[in-house]
Amino acid sequence: MKRSNGSPIRFVLPKGRLLSGSLEILQRAGIELRVPAERRLIERVDNYEVLLARAFDVPVYVEYGIDVGISGSDVVEERGSDVLIPLELPFGKCRLSLAMPAERVVEPEEMDGYRIATKYPRITRRFFEGLNVEVEVLKLHGSIELAPKIGIADAIVDIVETGNTLRANGLVEVEKVMDVSALLLVNRIAQKTKFEEINELVFAMKEVIRNGF
Amino acid sequence: MLAESERLSEIGKCLRRTFELWGYREIFLPAIEEYSENLRKGTKFAYNNEFYVIKPDITSQILENIKEPPEKLKIYYISEVLDGDVRGQWQAGVEYIGGNIIKMASEVILTAVTSLEVLGIEEFYIDIGSLRVWDDATEDISKFREEVYKALVRRNFEIIERLPIGKEKKEEMWRLFNFWGKESGYGKLDRIVEAVNDRRLFIDFGTVRPLPYYRDILFEIYSPELGKPLGGGGEYTFKGKPAFGFAFDMGALSKLFKKKGDRNRKKLRGEPRKVFAEAKRLVRMGIPVEVE
Repeated sequence: MKRSNGSPIRFVLPKGRLLSGSLEILQRAGIELRVPAERRLIERVDNYEVLLARAFDVPVYVEYGIDVGISGSDVVEERGSDVLIPLELPFGKCRLSLAMPAERVVEPEEMDGYRIATKYPRITRRFFEGLNVEVEVLKLHGSIELAPKIGIADAIVDIVETGNTLRANGLVEVEKVMDVSALLLVNRIAQKTKFEEINELVFAMKEVIRNGF
Repeated sequence: MLAESERLSEIGKCLRRTFELWGYREIFLPAIEEYSENLRKGTKFAYNNEFYVIKPDITSQILENIKEPPEKLKIYYISEVLDGDVRGQWQAGVEYIGGNIIKMASEVILTAVTSLEVLGIEEFYIDIGSLRVWDDATEDISKFREEVYKALVRRNFEIIERLPIGKEKKEEMWRLFNFWGKESGYGKLDRIVEAVNDRRLFIDFGTVRPLPYYRDILFEIYSPELGKPLGGGGEYTFKGKPAFGFAFDMGALSKLFKKKGDRNRKKLRGEPRKVFAEAKRLVRMGIPVEVE
């Protein structure tokens, strides 16, 4: 008994650092997607449709009806979206860390009353709640590492890849909050209504990873 | 906003009628409850050094409020539930407490089926699953049960593949993970499917709803036309009595609701005294009117 209704599979991919890895792993799994040309929102190739979205919006698109997406685990955790996560993908590896100016380093347990700038207020609050430390969380959308420099925050929680940006801004990593990697996301209803296609996709991607992507 | 309000009102009317036809009575609960760790969702606040919750999850609120349930209780509600923040979701649901679990489950599922049909929503599916099947399957590997449930909730079989358990066990779990059909070999589920006898109801062991009060049977309602579940429910225990309930997400129903025309409404016009006398007479007879 087939569950699928044969309608196209819709992908949402993140603009930015995860895009090339996403396209490559899908291509090796036999799914050749074309990124929408400028001003086009959706591109259709064979039985697939693809749209690009801001990395932070990908889990929301998947939760509300796009079949498949690729997103960082940091974003999925921050958004708390109700999506299926059938695979961890071997790219986009980095960490979300707490950092502060080198000359004022203290342990996270001693940060009571500190102001923390971040793009990840939910994860940050949960991290400090876990330590029983009360902090003020300041949500920013970019250039987080500047916040301590210009005096609007005492520390930051942000993505660290090589550590170069932190060093360039006089910051040191105090503690890792979480490891981050790319995840394959699937809409809960699509998993039911496009069961065969989604399972095939997951198998194919697993095979690519097993063969050393 | 008015258009959405009108749709929710129409949906509410249809659901009230259907729930009452199945013998459920409406329950009205307070918007604010004293905080209890048993209350799920809702938005917490402090007032005069006491903690409260605004608009919590209704099933947990019912469980908290009814101290001594009668032998049998069938209730329904239409209410907004807050998600811990300021955003709310309108829900409509029923709770059937006290009775034979197979009969209760079948009736509750049929209540959901007929409600959707009354709303003009015909293209939907109901997947029904079992927590006990997973409990039994993990009995000999109980120390990994939490990991297995995590794998189920995420639908991430890699988590199970990584467990230090035998190949045969993994294969058994893989079969359960992907089982979808009308007959499962688990008598309780098979009997419910047989009693409901609807082409849109299937057994799917991959269906899990991570709510703490579910005991065994649970189900999820969805439509290929919408990326969000329309609703769901399951079996729980209420003060030692078996119980079964479900809730619709009215926002999701609103996206698929096909409003029927108001053809029966009698339109009246003319001299006010005569027109209103006629309108009053018709309303007393239960005929809808509109004075133009």
